[in-house]
Order: sequence, then C-alpha cells, then structure tokens
Amino acid sequence: MSDYLSTTERETREMLDKIGVKSIEELFEDIPADMKLKKLNLPEGKSQQETMEIMTALSKKNKVYDVILRGAGSYDHYIPSMVKNLSSRSEFITAYTPYQAEMSQGILQAIFEYQSMICNLTGMDVSNASVYNGANAAAEAMLMCCEKNRKTFVTFNNIRPDTLKVLNTYAHRRGITVKVIDAVKGVSDIASLKKELNDTSACVYIEQPNYFGLIEDAEEIGKAAHEAGAKFVMGCNPIALALLKSPAECGADIAVGDAQPLGLPMSFGGPYVGFMACTTKEMRKMPGRIVGETTDHDGNRAYVLTLQAREQHIRREKAFSNICSNQAYCALVASMYMSAMGPEGMAEVANACVSYAHYLAEGLESAGLKLKYRGDFFHEFVTECDKPADKIIKALDKAGILGGLKLSANEILWCATETLSKADIDRAVEVVRRVK
Amino acid sequence: MNLIFEISEKGKRCATIRTPDVKAAKINKKYLRAEKPELPEVSEVDFSRHYTALSRRAFGVDNGFYPLGSCTMKYNPKINEEVAALEGFTRIHPLQDVKTVQGALEVMDTLSCSLAEITGMDAVTLQPNAGAHGEYTGLLLIAAYHAARKDFKRTKVIVPDSAHGTNPASAVMAGFEIINVPSDEKKGVDLKALKAVVGDDTAALMLTNPTTLGLFEKNIKEISKIIHNAGGLLYYDGANLNAVMGVVRPGDMGFDVVHLNLHKTFSTPHGGGGPGSGPVGCKKELAQFLPNPRVEKTEKGYKFVNGAKSIGKVASFYGNFGVYVRALAYIVALGAEGIKAAAQHAVLNANYLKVNIEDLYPTEKGRHCMHEFVVSMQELKDKTGVSAMEIAKTMIDRGYHPPTMYFPLIIHEALMFEPTETENKRTLDEVIAALREIYEEAFKDPEYMKSAPHHAQIGRPDEVKAARQPVVRYVKQ
Amino acid sequence: MKILFRESHEWAAIEGKTAKIGISDHAQKELGDLVFINLPEVGAEVKAGDVLCDVESVKAVSDLYAPVSGKVIKVNEELESSPELINQDAMGAWICEIEVTDVPADLMDEAAYKDFIKG
Repeated sequence: MSDYLSTTERETREMLDKIGVKSIEELFEDIPADMKLKKLNLPEGKSQQETMEIMTALSKKNKVYDVILRGAGSYDHYIPSMVKNLSSRSEFITAYTPYQAEMSQGILQAIFEYQSMICNLTGMDVSNASVYNGANAAAEAMLMCCEKNRKTFVTFNNIRPDTLKVLNTYAHRRGITVKVIDAVKGVSDIASLKKELNDTSACVYIEQPNYFGLIEDAEEIGKAAHEAGAKFVMGCNPIALALLKSPAECGADIAVGDAQPLGLPMSFGGPYVGFMACTTKEMRKMPGRIVGETTDHDGNRAYVLTLQAREQHIRREKAFSNICSNQAYCALVASMYMSAMGPEGMAEVANACVSYAHYLAEGLESAGLKLKYRGDFFHEFVTECDKPADKIIKALDKAGILGGLKLSANEILWCATETLSKADIDRAVEVVRRVK
Repeated sequence: MNLIFEISEKGKRCATIRTPDVKAAKINKKYLRAEKPELPEVSEVDFSRHYTALSRRAFGVDNGFYPLGSCTMKYNPKINEEVAALEGFTRIHPLQDVKTVQGALEVMDTLSCSLAEITGMDAVTLQPNAGAHGEYTGLLLIAAYHAARKDFKRTKVIVPDSAHGTNPASAVMAGFEIINVPSDEKKGVDLKALKAVVGDDTAALMLTNPTTLGLFEKNIKEISKIIHNAGGLLYYDGANLNAVMGVVRPGDMGFDVVHLNLHKTFSTPHGGGGPGSGPVGCKKELAQFLPNPRVEKTEKGYKFVNGAKSIGKVASFYGNFGVYVRALAYIVALGAEGIKAAAQHAVLNANYLKVNIEDLYPTEKGRHCMHEFVVSMQELKDKTGVSAMEIAKTMIDRGYHPPTMYFPLIIHEALMFEPTETENKRTLDEVIAALREIYEEAFKDPEYMKSAPHHAQIGRPDEVKAARQPVVRYVKQ
Repeated sequence: MKILFRESHEWAAIEGKTAKIGISDHAQKELGDLVFINLPEVGAEVKAGDVLCDVESVKAVSDLYAPVSGKVIKVNEELESSPELINQDAMGAWICEIEVTDVPADLMDEAAYKDFIKG
C-alpha cells in the first residue's frame, strides 16, 4: 500500500499527546457515530510498482494509431521536445492559483505572456487567463452577450456538435434561445442570417474554420451581426489563425476557441484549454482570471490578478460567471508551443496542414470519394461516396490508420496535419481505393 | 525578469518541423491575415532559460509548506504524472471507436464507481472540468429533477453565509435565486433561520461539510430533515471531503448530490490554477439527468450511452480525461485503508498545528477541528495594527506559502490553515515556531511587518493601479 | 439647492426637479481606493432604496442605493475612466442625475448625517 503520508508512528503518538487525545478517532467525535462508515468497499492499496503495472495495462487496452486522419475538435500535432520538457517542471505543475503575487511571479508572468500571445493571435485587446475548453469558452461568450432584451444566440448548423450541445445546456436555464440556422453548401449563409436577426439577437457565433473544415466569410457575417445591433463571436482554430484573418480583422467582439492544437495531446478529449479574448469595451464582462501588469512599492514591474471585482469570490450571486479556476497549466503549454514555434513555425505548421489536407482530398477523390462541399478548406473536409463510410473506416483501421469521422452512412469528415507524410497518405488512399 | 517578447529577435527559431513532401496548397488570399501574428522568436537555449527562470519564480507543493485552506494542497505523487503521460492515454482520439479505447472507458468507469463508493452516491459523472463547474452541473440536475416532477415553483437555492463564492454564482448560472442563511453562534447553520426560509419554493440547500470553518456540521441530520421535509434536495460541496473520506460519506449524511475536486482530494496537481476536475455524484432518483454521454459496463465491454432525460453536455468530449488517469492511480495506490488514513492524518496535522498556535492565533474554542481551521487576527490587529494579510506576507519572507486570507467572510481578519495529510511533523514544528515568532514580531516591529514581504520576488504590488489602468498584455514600446 | 443624505451614505443634491447623486466622503473612506464604477443606465427608472449601481475597489464591490425616486437622465462618464475622482472629492464627483419624482422623508441634512456617522 502507498499512502504518501510522512509521519512515523512515533511522531503520530507525540502529536496525539500534544493535542490531548488518545487516538485519531477521537478527533472525529463531532461526527454522529451511527453515520460513520465501517469500511470502504474498495480494493486494498497497491505498491507503487503494482500501481504502475495496473495503469500501464489499462493504457495498453487502448489502440494508438500510427496515422491519424481524424480531427473534429481534437487534433494530432507534433509537440516540440522543449515544450514537453520545460512544462514538466514541478514548480509549474504543483503550484496553485497565484493568489500571493509576491511568490508567484513566474505563474503570473506566464499567464500574462499567454494573454499577450492570444491577443496577438486573435488581434483582440484583452484575453483572460483561459477557461475550461473551447465549448465552454463559447458558452461563456454567450452569457457575456445576452442582455435583458437581447437573449437570442444565433448560430449555424456547421459548428462543432459538442459546442452546440454545451451552448444549449448553458442557455436552457437562463432563458436564452439558441437559434440554429441551416448552412448553405456547408458555410454560414448571410441571406438566411439577415432574415433571422432582429432586436432580440444577442450575438452571432460562427466557427473558423467551421466543423466541416470550410473557411467562412467571417467579415460579412460580422457586418450583418453588427447591423442588427448584435455582437459577433468567432470560435477559431488557433493553428489556422497563423494564416487566416484574425477575429479582430473580421470585426469580432469576442474570439474564443480551443487551444488544444497548441501543444496539448489529444488525451481522449481533455484536459484542453479554452481561450477567450475580447475588445476593451467588453473587458469588464469577461469571466475568469485576468493577470495585469503593475509595479511594486519600489517601482519594479510586477504582475497581479486584476479586475477581480468581476469574479465570483467577490461578486458572489451577482457575478457574470461562476468560473473560478482556469486551465493555467494547459495555457502555459499553449504559450510554450507558440514561443517554441514562433510566427514562422506556426505558419509552417498551418501551411503543412493545408498542403497535406489538399493532397489527401485529391487522393481520396482519385479513389472514388467526392468532396461534399466545394468551398475553401483549411485542414478538414467532408467526402461523400457510395461506399459505406463504415467499410472505409474499418479497412483503414486494419491498416493501423485512424480514418476520418463518420458523419452519416456515406459521409466522412477527414483531417490532415503536419504529422502525416506523403507515404502515409498514399497508403491510406490505396486502402480506400480497394474498399468495395 | 524579461518577458519572452523582450528577448525575441526577428529570425530566431526554436522548434522546427519537417518540410511537407507534397505540393504546397494555398488558401485564397482574401481569407489571409495582413501580417503574421506577433509571437516570440527565440532560440532553444533562450526558450529553456526563460521558462526555467519562470519556474524558479513559481512556488508549488514541491517547493514547500502550502497550507492554503480549502484548497487541499497535498503532495502530487510523481507516478501520477508518469502514468498520465503513457502514450496509450495521451495519443488516443476522443472520437475513436469505443472498441479501441476500452482501457480509457475502464479508467472512467472504475474511477466513477470508486467515487460513488467514497461519497455514498449511486451514480457519478466525471464530465465537469472544475469544482465550480461541478456545482453548476449538480444544480442543473436538481433543476431537472424538480422540473420532471412538474414542481416548477422550486426556484430558490439556500446558501449559508460561510459558503464559497462559487456556490451562489453557480446557482444563479443554473437559473436559481439565492437565499442566504446566517451562521449561528457556533458557526454552524442557524437552524431557526433555516426553518424560516425553507418552503415549497426551496430547490436545494448547498452545504460544505466540514464547513468552511473546518468544523463538522453537527446538526447535519436535522438540516437534512428540514430540507427534505420541505421537498428540497441537499447539495454537498466537496471542497472539504479530504477531512472525512473513508470516515463518513455525504450520501450517509443525507446529501442527494455532491461534487468533488479531483485536484484537491485526489492528489491531481493544481497546475497554477488548473486543469481541475469536478465529478458530480447523485442518488439514483437523479441519475437519469446526468450529462451525456455516460460509460456503461456490459458483458461485451464498456460503451457510451446517452440518456434521453439528460441535462445535456457541460463540456467538450468527456471532460478532463488526463486528470482521471492521475486520480485513479491515486485511488489504486491508496486503496480503502489508505484513503481513510489520508483523511485521518489530514485531521491530525490540522489539530496539531492548531493546538500549538491557538493561544496566539485564536480559533473556535473547545472543539477539535477537521482538516483545517480558521483563526481571527482581529485582536492582534487592534493591539498592533498588524493585519492578517501582513502575517501572510511575513510568512512569505520565511519561505512558506501563506494560508487562505479573508475567507470565510464571516470571520474578521481570517487566516485559514490546511496543512493536509502529506505534511510531516518536522515541517509543522518549524512552521509553529515561525508563526509564534511572527506573532511576537507584530508587537516588536509592527511597521516592518506592515511593509512585508522584504525578501520576496517583488515587494507589495500596487493592485489599485493594476485595476484602474489595466495593462493586460504586452505592447511593444 | 439642498443636499440630503441616505443612511447607506449616498447623497442627493436636489435642485428644482432634478438631483445629482453621489456618495459621501465617509463612504469613500470606508470603501478605500475605488477602481471602477458601473454607472447606471440613462433612462432607467429607479425607486428610492433600489440598487442604483455599484462601485468596485480592488477586493470588494459595493452596491449604491438610490436616495430618491425618478428617472436617470445623465451619468458622469468621466468617472468611468477616472473613478479616483470619487476618492479625491466625494461631494464633487456626482455619479448621475435623476429627474426626481419622489424624495423620501427619512433623508438627512448634512448636520443630521454627520451626527449619524458619529453614531
């Protein structure tokens, strides 16, 4: 059994004597006796070696693919060695929220740098210290935008299904209506949008690229939103932002997204990290922690948690959000990734994604699949074909390849990143070609 | 020290990737940004030194004593990090066929079942990403429960005045109105006041037990009866479960819904403020409302199921899976006895610290505390002008992380100590000596203490300036 | 013009049909350095005793109550970027102007208010 305690029996005895009790049990005398538990129905504790063996055995029950052609909200990218190595320093891992600025300048500065990078990537004025994940960032943005007389959240059916589900959950008990408009040819349609917008619309939310991988004409959507007096919120893939117009250039009031592609492993869906950035005008409504620069009493530069009066620990039931923690460690990893890659490296990764995705799309077309949408795409796209999606994915699985995600009986959502090579894609295409 | 932007030089490279061996595809120009984002450009050695320097200006449990009350800063076992980094856990896609991720589903199911046993609940979801997120999820379950019974008038959630700020904030997000109840003179829930506010509009009472004062709520049975007789439900904020796990279960105290914090009670690291994980457990009457998807064990293995009455999803995919791996490794290592021993030693350590300082740092008299205790420095402040905050700042000078300050709000000049079970006696003895010296110092040289810390990374920061003219990003000069 | 105070430390400087609203010097001292004020909305109808707006210090947020009933017709936007003006001159830094429909009888004049805060 492992217990991670660090008191010997002799020390325990000394401590009990000092407290003036005979046993540890006496310290629990406030708990009604009939309520107490006899014994937990759990296995006995294990040694460290056994624990390692048990957990390793569990990990081996999962299939790790050599080649991954699936994205849909979780992306396999190369994670630089220095990011893995430096982020594993235990000072970062075992620290708490930096409440005590005088001994937490490292964590505070790391968050300040993260905020700055997110601002530069999105073009927005202010970033918070991060929230749980991309879907929650969208939900928090929705709460920021809804006001007494504007409680309709407008979006399209080409956003990530998970995000839409989380938005619906958050909207339900707040009297917010989530209006989902049908996309046309996979993209958000201005004409349909204009018909839906009115003086009860709180905001318009689109994803860039959208769930089908298509690049949206975000500027036009933003204009339509603003003409109706609604806010414009963009959910962005941060790798794509290395190339695409920033949310600020598209007129967004709030930019959100999941920073998982920035150095975080897929890890079966989490932990990831939601980024949130907005214009100065919206700053005081933004949920979550924000780190600010100031000076100490000697005039030295210093960082602190700031604008705290927005938050739940002060505002309690009047807070805009209940959010308390951020995903500081994941945000640190994301900022390390951006530093390690730099603007050139980020653009190279994004370009490699685009090139491999287009090569994959051409290959699959040659193998008899058809692109469902003809619009510009980033690193994901949808195919349709007569061959059943299940059969294609199964054949790829046998070859050690995680195929695209089945969207319907004959539709598949594919993804390509810089982790692939020409040979990987050729091999995958060959497998698909042979599927009858 | 410099910001990474300030050591950036145009043209420097750190990580590099393979050049694509396919023809370059281009995106239509009209979608491209005008300029590349301004991100740091550094070499690998610049990078390594920068982040090493940042880490040296961070203070974690591995650095020293961290008695941050209500945060349960216990030691984070190294094996947890190693198992969570296994490729079989990190390099699996959340949308893989469940047949290819049976190990992952087994981790989730085993952890859920273990947490259900520890809390005395019938079902557990792991999905919420943090404690506050768990509260929100738990309250949505309560809302769904009343709505399913067509009991629509239950719009109010009762919250004691000693509660964490997240409690009322979460309840409002879940669409409830808040009723605050005061504490009685023993700092428990004032039963008279509670009786006066419960009624057929009561949806739930949110309670932390042990309370935020580190005391076990002795009237829990009576409270449970009052709430349940009124048709409301009892919500357990698991912030303080570390005091009682393996000893008494929230389910046996009468609670209907609980949330836990894997990053407090189950040793997963805090990471400077996250990622956390806030699983929610509930009694069987509420299980049908839990978030989708849920893991189910069948004869043919594990699968995901979606309930028709579910409140929906509260986070992407299945929540913070990597945190579950760590928490499960902890539970496997400790086992039934180890979990109870952790609670026992958390309480032992807190009481040991308390009895050794309570003559100077006054706290609730005549009772043993649980895993934490709250002292009030009001008297010291009246005598010397030295506040709770200044004691905290002086602790920094001595290399200790201060306790939680000014919480709960009902105690003046509060300091809340939670040493946790992993702290050793030698450190506690050192801290006791230090705290006693600090107390003396407040009389000898109060002015010096009022400007503490003197030997920290920075002196006291100007928080007013930070809030009045917020500078929240680096702007190139 | 007459200046009247509420027990919750707001003042109303009433002149004809309108009143400028602010907080007392005593309140300003108690609240400490103000870092932000959420100004009320122009056009809002308020009843005496309603929450009018709130002010933030670094570690606290405090509601301000309307000393009189009426409609908010003007707000002092200067305070949005310089909340410290309240700390510097509480009686000069008006927060908003209200078109008054009712003045409660229990407001105090300056002398009575001074006695009140002396306890």
